[in-house]
Amino acid sequence: MNDANQNAQLLMIDDDRELGDMITDFLASDNLDVTVRHSGEAGIEEFKSGDYDLLILDIMMPGISGLDVLKKVRLTSAIPVIMLTARGDDVDRIIGLEFGADDYLPKPFNPRELVARIKAILRRAQPQAEDSEVLALGEIRLDSRTHKAGVNQNDLQLTGTEFEILKCLLETPGKVVNKEYLSERALGRRLLPYDRSVDTHISNLRGKLEKAGNRNETIQNQRGVGYLLIPGT
Amino acid sequence: MRSLFLKFFVSFWLVIGLIIGAAAVGGFLYAEQLQSTIEDFEAGNSMLEASAALQRGGREGLIRWRNNTPSDDGVIIFFLDESGEEISFRRIPFGVQRIFERNRARYERLQRDRDAEDNGDGRRMRSRLLPQLTAPDGEVLTMLVAPVQAPEAFWSSQDIRVLLFIFALMISGIVSYALARAVSRPVGKLRDATVSLADGNLDIRVADSIGKRRDELGLLGRDFDAMAEKLQRAAEHQTELSRNISHELRSPLARMRVAVELARRKAGDLSEFARLDQDAERLDALIGQILSYTKLEMDSDSNALPVDLSDVVNEVIENVNFESGSERVSLLSGDDRLTVIGYRGALLSAVENVVRNAVRHSADGSEVTIRIDASGDKANIRILDKGPGVADDDLPLLFNPFFRTRESTEKNSNGGTGLGLAIARRAIEIHNGSIVARNRKDGGLAVRITLPLRD
Repeated sequence: MNDANQNAQLLMIDDDRELGDMITDFLASDNLDVTVRHSGEAGIEEFKSGDYDLLILDIMMPGISGLDVLKKVRLTSAIPVIMLTARGDDVDRIIGLEFGADDYLPKPFNPRELVARIKAILRRAQPQAEDSEVLALGEIRLDSRTHKAGVNQNDLQLTGTEFEILKCLLETPGKVVNKEYLSERALGRRLLPYDRSVDTHISNLRGKLEKAGNRNETIQNQRGVGYLLIPGT
Repeated sequence: MRSLFLKFFVSFWLVIGLIIGAAAVGGFLYAEQLQSTIEDFEAGNSMLEASAALQRGGREGLIRWRNNTPSDDGVIIFFLDESGEEISFRRIPFGVQRIFERNRARYERLQRDRDAEDNGDGRRMRSRLLPQLTAPDGEVLTMLVAPVQAPEAFWSSQDIRVLLFIFALMISGIVSYALARAVSRPVGKLRDATVSLADGNLDIRVADSIGKRRDELGLLGRDFDAMAEKLQRAAEHQTELSRNISHELRSPLARMRVAVELARRKAGDLSEFARLDQDAERLDALIGQILSYTKLEMDSDSNALPVDLSDVVNEVIENVNFESGSERVSLLSGDDRLTVIGYRGALLSAVENVVRNAVRHSADGSEVTIRIDASGDKANIRILDKGPGVADDDLPLLFNPFFRTRESTEKNSNGGTGLGLAIARRAIEIHNGSIVARNRKDGGLAVRITLPLRD
């Protein structure tokens, strides 16, 4: 993790060279250093050899697609990932989130929006001094300081977004947390129309909790409002 | 058999030939039997008795004798005079008549031959002549017999006729059944495959079921497979193409937007940049709409599922209200659980485009209401706004792609791409529904979407 006076290191994997150059240019003035790779293969190589804080991943690339890169990266790393998707392609977007991307941005996007998202995710990834506490409910425990969560003795492998959502839910067990709040806390941005990212992250989180052996606590959906974590009996 | 043509030709030929042949053979056997019954009759005693009766009482005596003689030989005796008349005008069976004619001809020839020369041939012919009696007045009567129950006995009995009829029915029935089945089974399979193909199952092939046949249906099956193959490739090509269009058109747009931001940083926030941004967004929206218009067709290739209409409408309302940050759109009456069979995405975009159109064309803050109800086996979704409505002439054109009313042309554009309502119509048509617009009495536009309900 970089501290505040050092530039964050970003890896962008996109086959559009000109766009990569312009984004590098644009993000430089926001103290974001971008390295660009133009294919999935080269991107994975670079990711393994470098020390990056965030990944910007284009879904539509010739050869290894962005989704395949994401799957490979997620095998070993919980690095924040922002996907660039085609607007209106819900399938890519949802699959991307299911494979563990933290957020997505439809192309063409306003680069200021990209900066806002990057910053929101980086800020969230930064450990904050005030929440050094350990949250727990039933079988689930979460340590904000070490950024670790688990069910009983089993560790949970959560992405940053999933970790943050679990934390929000654990802060007020049994009470509904609305989706707008979850979006702002976990993704650092407003909820958008047709935005199913929070729902997808929740569904991933449910799956991981269950796989780690959680049987008592359940994340329940309050239709049209948000989600709540129900303590086990 | 190799071809249907041969199968039909040979089968019909055989069956028709068999039936005609059987009828002919039957007729022949009948005639033969008649002939032999008559010719083999042992005239013997009857002849002598008849001759005596004739001598005693003439014609009347002969008739009396015949009437008193029990026909226990199983034969009826006829006496024909030289002109071929029966002595008591009994009706003569046709066969008997013919035998008499033949006999007379033979007799006459024999007479002629005898005048010329008596040869061996004549003797043999004489032995086959019918017995004749000579009346006291010199009239020659020929005696003929016919079985009491006529030779038809076998062939004409009611039971046999029914049996024959049933037999013919059975034979032709079996052959016809086999033929019909040979055709209808593969045709049925082909039909199932066609229906499945129309439902969007482009993987379907019939090579394994009827493609192996070596007749015309096999050829048809292979043609079907070739057609399905082409359709599938075209559909894949289309998907690929629209993905590429999306990518290729959007890449320059993406660069343009970044370039605008870079320029803005260097040159300051000029109003032209806002214009550029706005047009880039509009182009992006247009590309999106064109893609979703083509995607509707691809949707309709996938499997239709039950879709809850109020669910769809509520999602649209939620999204549109969220976007405008108000509660402008509301569902007034909701018939619970109205389910149609279709594609959720397409229905969602249909309702959404109509609702967005209503929101865009009505005054800020005025309400848009949606009603859902069912009438008979149809579901209605009505989207009602309080805007200016549309000139009556324009109403039928409203759902055409890129159609703009005069009013909206004058006002230039107000954010619509010109494709929204066309997409709505296409999406509804895919569901075999209809969409119509009319002006409300108290101002505003009413759009009614009608969809067939799930049975």
